[in-house]
Amino acid sequence: MATATAPVPADRSATGAPAPVRAGRRRPRREPSAERAFTRLCGAVLVVFALLWLLPLAWALATSVRPDGEINTAPTRWFGAHPTLAAYRSVLDAGHIGQWYLNSLITSALTMVITVVVASAAAFALSRVDFRGRRALYWLVLAGAMIPAQVLVVPQFKELNSVHLLNTYWAVILPQLPSAIAVFVFKSFIDGIPGELVDAARADGAGWWTVYARIVMPLTRPAVSAVAVFTFVWSWNNFLWPLLVDTSVSMMTLPVGLATTQDSYGIRYAELMASAVLGGLPLIVLFLFFQRRIVEGIAGTGLK
Amino acid sequence: MAVHSPTAPAAGPRAAPAAVRRHHWAGPGMVLPFLLLYLLFMIGPVAYNLVVSLFNTSLVHSGLGPFVGLRNYGEALTSADFWHTLWHTVWFTVLTTVPLVALSLALALMAERVRRWRWLFRTVFFAPYVLPVSAVALVFTYVYADRIGLLQHLLSLVGVTSPGWLSDPRWVLPSVAAATVWWTLGFTFVLYLAALQDIPADVLEAAAIDGAGPVRRLRHVVVPMLGRTTALVTVLQVIASLKVFDQVYLIAGSGGGPAGAARSSVEYVYDSGFTDMRVGYAATVSFLLFLVMLAVSAVWFAVSRRTDQGV
Amino acid sequence: MPRRRRSAFWERAGATPAGVVRHPPGRTLMPRPAETSRPGRRSVLRAAAALALGGAGAAGLTGCGTAVGQGLFGAADPAGTLTYWNLFGGGDGTRMQQMENAFRAAHRAVRLRPVTLAWGNPYYTKLTLATLGRRPPDVAVTHLSRLPTLAASSLLTPLRSADLERHGLTAARFDPRAYQQAHYQGSLYAMPLDTHPFVLYYNTAVCRKAGLLDAAGKLKPLQGSTEFTAALAAGAKACGGAGAVMSITNDPSMCWRWWWTCYRQLGGGDLLAGDGRTVVLDEDRAERAAAYLARLTGRRLMPGELDQNGAVSLFTSGKAAFMLDGEWDVTTVQSTKAAFGMVRVPRLFDDAPYAVWADSHALILPRSPQRDAARLDLALTFVTSLLDDSYVWAQGGHIPAWLPTRDSRRYRDLRPQADYADAVAGAAYDPPAWYSGAGSDLETVAGGAVGLLLGGRLTPAGFVRSLRAGLRELASRPSPL
Repeated sequence: MATATAPVPADRSATGAPAPVRAGRRRPRREPSAERAFTRLCGAVLVVFALLWLLPLAWALATSVRPDGEINTAPTRWFGAHPTLAAYRSVLDAGHIGQWYLNSLITSALTMVITVVVASAAAFALSRVDFRGRRALYWLVLAGAMIPAQVLVVPQFKELNSVHLLNTYWAVILPQLPSAIAVFVFKSFIDGIPGELVDAARADGAGWWTVYARIVMPLTRPAVSAVAVFTFVWSWNNFLWPLLVDTSVSMMTLPVGLATTQDSYGIRYAELMASAVLGGLPLIVLFLFFQRRIVEGIAGTGLK
Repeated sequence: MAVHSPTAPAAGPRAAPAAVRRHHWAGPGMVLPFLLLYLLFMIGPVAYNLVVSLFNTSLVHSGLGPFVGLRNYGEALTSADFWHTLWHTVWFTVLTTVPLVALSLALALMAERVRRWRWLFRTVFFAPYVLPVSAVALVFTYVYADRIGLLQHLLSLVGVTSPGWLSDPRWVLPSVAAATVWWTLGFTFVLYLAALQDIPADVLEAAAIDGAGPVRRLRHVVVPMLGRTTALVTVLQVIASLKVFDQVYLIAGSGGGPAGAARSSVEYVYDSGFTDMRVGYAATVSFLLFLVMLAVSAVWFAVSRRTDQGV
Repeated sequence: MPRRRRSAFWERAGATPAGVVRHPPGRTLMPRPAETSRPGRRSVLRAAAALALGGAGAAGLTGCGTAVGQGLFGAADPAGTLTYWNLFGGGDGTRMQQMENAFRAAHRAVRLRPVTLAWGNPYYTKLTLATLGRRPPDVAVTHLSRLPTLAASSLLTPLRSADLERHGLTAARFDPRAYQQAHYQGSLYAMPLDTHPFVLYYNTAVCRKAGLLDAAGKLKPLQGSTEFTAALAAGAKACGGAGAVMSITNDPSMCWRWWWTCYRQLGGGDLLAGDGRTVVLDEDRAERAAAYLARLTGRRLMPGELDQNGAVSLFTSGKAAFMLDGEWDVTTVQSTKAAFGMVRVPRLFDDAPYAVWADSHALILPRSPQRDAARLDLALTFVTSLLDDSYVWAQGGHIPAWLPTRDSRRYRDLRPQADYADAVAGAAYDPPAWYSGAGSDLETVAGGAVGLLLGGRLTPAGFVRSLRAGLRELASRPSPL
């Protein structure tokens, strides 16, 4: 539920789904102080875990602004006397990371747009248009959802190699496009759209393409943004496949680039942490902006 | 292909007569782009994978190479590396799935009880999930580093002498698993939070009025109602773990770290196909691995079917 | 997707399409107040498209544009750029950067783009994939022990003497042994940069105390296994620690180098034949070599379990008289200010000509569809520049393969590096096989067995059985070549 995860408690009443605790609090016979103490304990445990979760990130940040010399002499101190952004400058000066951002952006954005268009059209046809073989096709796509991309890297590599597409953006994009999962998300969404709407449009003489573009797609916005967001995030963070096909440094996506050339920095930890921070930053920012959308998309589809 | 057949008299009940002419083509036409991509990059590769697994195909030479029949399968099934990596993969699955399910359930229940700051906890736990794996690997390689790493330092503060987290063959896989839990916990946490919201209030109130205390409500009402989510989370996690490669390759180092103690099945595919250049054999290992995953999915499918009927 | 979950998604995703509210709600469609702050599909898509286009536009201005062109249309690398891949970290990495900068200073019009990748299998995997992907680096470093596999996979450009002569890269100016090793089936495929043997470091203070130094403060020559054992014993006694240390734990490559050295000195021969298809292990000599190695660790003259950092720190802090290691750690040892010297690994057995494990770094031109005459010349200019800078390289411990440097006064005066330059004559490369070479499966399997032997977990006879089984398993795998 969209509202339940919102920070403002007042929203929650609208969902009509009070949590177990609230029900407990209303109980007259329970000792309120014991309940409250237990709640406090839960809060404390949560805070401890939250701090634990922030620790590695904070550690990476703190290390990235320390001079290398200081790290070597006192590796485990949190704050040095001389904070510096030298490591960031050195990572940026190495001159690849900007290119990798761009490569990731282009490949992820293209993957996202094409996936949304292609999968929603297919889902609409599977959901609403009667044609011969629809059922067989549905099962074919369902079977595809069972095939993890990781076990297809060998034939896909051979395939793209034979058409000389390795080390281009298309090598990264193409195998990511047939997303059976995206089709299912769209299909289950379109299944829920009232049939009367479609029927009325059809009765007015609208073709299937018109129904798809003018009526169904505008109603499918939430599914579009859910699919768009998780396709983008997934594509941005994809690793094994780009590792295989992006072997020219100027073609690498951000995750592959970071992982591949870290040895250029040897054991200069400030540089390593600075590149980790720079590498993580775009999606963290994106996440903070689209937090609800991302979380809802994932909670709703239950898919990675 | 049946889908392209223009002769299909498959007019659905909803079809309007005015559009009959376009009707035949609209459905297949809309599926076509997806279908084409799907055939080229899913079905095609699956078929090609099966064919290649019967040949001694090389990465660096074109063509299939000599036909070897089922010899690749024989080699894989008798190879110590195949079974070791499969065992590492299974062990990794256990090491990540159990803590992920238990911890995220516990944390979600606590967050649900505390209510305040829930969005903050969600942000904190979920944020690592959007990080690219190489950023996670960079940070954790440093956290786990011998002598200069944060973890050994923190443990030494409380008087514990820690092993070399990434240099000791016994610890490298658990270390990678722990980093994975850190990385992906937010995902299961969010799923549980959402599931908790779905529990109808009246069920809980009824239980409360019947005199069930919080612990009994938790055990007999809340946790059973989360069964679906737990099943879903578990199977997603199991499948994700069975195909693990990224963080093992990056944190433990290529070849699976010390003594190959963390090498996963997918990394075995990678090594066979792209380092040893034995594409035919790698295809065989891929296919065997796929069968394992299919079996897991089938078990889940069967179980969830039964649960569905029960509900 | 299960039914219940589906409707939950519908609701959770906050769907309230404006058009629906006017119609009777469907089964799963619960009318609900529209949210106002939600970014719609259009804004998400538009933002992404704008980002991509904006990024591409900005790239066009800043020079990343060519890469975008390559990514989308497979355009060629711009002329005047030179990509160079290597696998050097630590001191080697720093020196290589110095040499790259020297090239940049002399060739300002060229955009040199060097990339350092992780050592060992990952490097060769990437090099292979990049070459298959038709966008390899213009110049790359390889170990000569890996050359046969790369050449047999047709990943390399054969070097024509006419081209080389234009740049002064003639046979007479290279170390003959390394130059020979740079051939595959009669064609030259690489230009050797160095030879890097396994060597013996000695701690001057400890060895002096043990009476192992001559009047000039150099290690007295050691001849034969008995003398070497005695020297270790004397050293151990003098420092109250170990006679010699070596990186063993999780370091199969190092273990392999030590056993291979002894095995070859015993006349053990090739180990593998037919490009690795058959095992020709001389079991008797393999066991004799193993027995000697095990005797040293068994008598506690050498610790049987120690990692690289441990070995260096014991050696430099005077808790060990000797260290067996690659010469490339000279920078690390020098940085500790410990007084030390280096010699080639002594002749322990005289059943065969002197031999010691060694490998060479060499420069190769991966096969590339876009290499024309201009690019070839640029690549060879760069190679020549690196070779001319061999003195910088030699400071990192490597013995230059470039004779103009090796025969120079400056190099011959370089201490301790020049003291083991005579090791090149006995350089014993890893046996040729598709699974052999630096950091390969062969080193991992064979070296792993040596590690168990040194740790006392295998007897010499057990070691030979384990080695034989491991080698046979490797050899039985069908070759991809």
